[in-house]
Amino acid sequence: MPVISVDTGRRRGWVLPATLFVAFVLHALPVNDPLQGFVPDWVSLVLIYWSLALPGRMSVGTAWAVGLLLDLVSFGLLGSYALTKAVLVYFSRRAALQVRTYPLWQQAVVVLVLLAVEMLLLVVIEFAVEQSLHGLERWTAAVVGALLWPITYLLLRRCRLWAQLS
Amino acid sequence: METVRLKPASRKAIIGLLPYVLLSVLLMVADRHSDSVRQATHAVAVVGIPVHFLATLPTRTLRWMEGSLESPQELKQQYAVLQEKHLILQTRLQRYELLEVENARLRRLLSAIPTASEQVLLARLIDVDLDPRAQDILIDKGSADGVFDGQPVVDGGGIVGQVTAAGLFRSAVRPVTDLAQAVPVQVLRNGLRAVVYGGGRGQLLRVLYLDRNADIRVGDLLASSGLGGRYPVGYPVAQVKTVERNLSESFMTVRAKPASQLGSEREVALLWLTDGRPSNAGIPAEVGNDAGD
Repeated sequence: MPVISVDTGRRRGWVLPATLFVAFVLHALPVNDPLQGFVPDWVSLVLIYWSLALPGRMSVGTAWAVGLLLDLVSFGLLGSYALTKAVLVYFSRRAALQVRTYPLWQQAVVVLVLLAVEMLLLVVIEFAVEQSLHGLERWTAAVVGALLWPITYLLLRRCRLWAQLS
Repeated sequence: METVRLKPASRKAIIGLLPYVLLSVLLMVADRHSDSVRQATHAVAVVGIPVHFLATLPTRTLRWMEGSLESPQELKQQYAVLQEKHLILQTRLQRYELLEVENARLRRLLSAIPTASEQVLLARLIDVDLDPRAQDILIDKGSADGVFDGQPVVDGGGIVGQVTAAGLFRSAVRPVTDLAQAVPVQVLRNGLRAVVYGGGRGQLLRVLYLDRNADIRVGDLLASSGLGGRYPVGYPVAQVKTVERNLSESFMTVRAKPASQLGSEREVALLWLTDGRPSNAGIPAEVGNDAGD
């Protein structure tokens, strides 16, 4: 993914938080019962994109703050999403240099692994707090997230190029 | 350049991750064990209001379009049906009020504990999924209205669940269908006690620990028994759908359908119990006092 962008005009730095805001809204979007298990974690997908594309702008600390905000907005256990998002971005930043050169379907496999790691972390937290393992049923959401990766990637890439962030 | 710095910094990077992990764990422990931390975080949760507002837009526009498409004739018809229903309920209520007065008098004669009286506040459902992992419902009343953690929530059908996070203006309600929720119930027909557990999203409720030869049938109504002190007595919880007696097991497998119309009703009621018992502390006597239990 060689980005040959000439710096013309102003950068639109607000685009990154804006995409995250959209992900938050998608996270809260009501879904019918049978589809519930297939709702991917939009916030994670957007975080993965930015940490792959612009590791300099998406630090682990930023991801942690985003996760904390998600905990607040979703009335969940404070600190749970903060932890998983920080770990997620940490790993995707580590892999960023290699993964960026992969074709999209291979990137999707990496995304699947990242989402699965996050899901397992959430299950561990759930087990520690409530002694239940029901979060394991969310594996379908990780698969859907990976399948949706190419679309997410292309959309967010357009956003990034339009915002002239590189 | 960022890209050059990233690769050899593996050890340094994992040390960079550690403080965030520790901070998160600390927050989780604080959230679990300190009420003041919980209340503070729920107050901060007002930042979610614009997010939730936008997330409800699609359903709201859809509903609005449905509403504007309805013909005046249909509306008139609906109005007539509702009025009829209203009349029937009102006549029933008159009898109920009479019975209540009589019941209170008889209880006084017996010098028994007076029954709990309840205060009600209506709350509107906000059409969002708070988190795909949970089935929590968002309502538009919060601790500013006196809502507290653990407060029972009912709708036209019966018990919906309890408030699990009372924010400042919004609260999260965990429905009885949640896997970790349990409601002590009583079979209306014969007073048999049982506990109803959530079965998960879209699933029937599970009635556990019923002896193999317990008297329970399909169609039995289960109402809250008031044991445990969380839910008030006598509200419908579920109706028994299937009963399986397995000779090799000592308990029956019973499934029940929740009585509340979760999701289809747009409004729920929050209950405050004002119990006659003096020892029952922790339940606020009036709206506006939001002490938890």
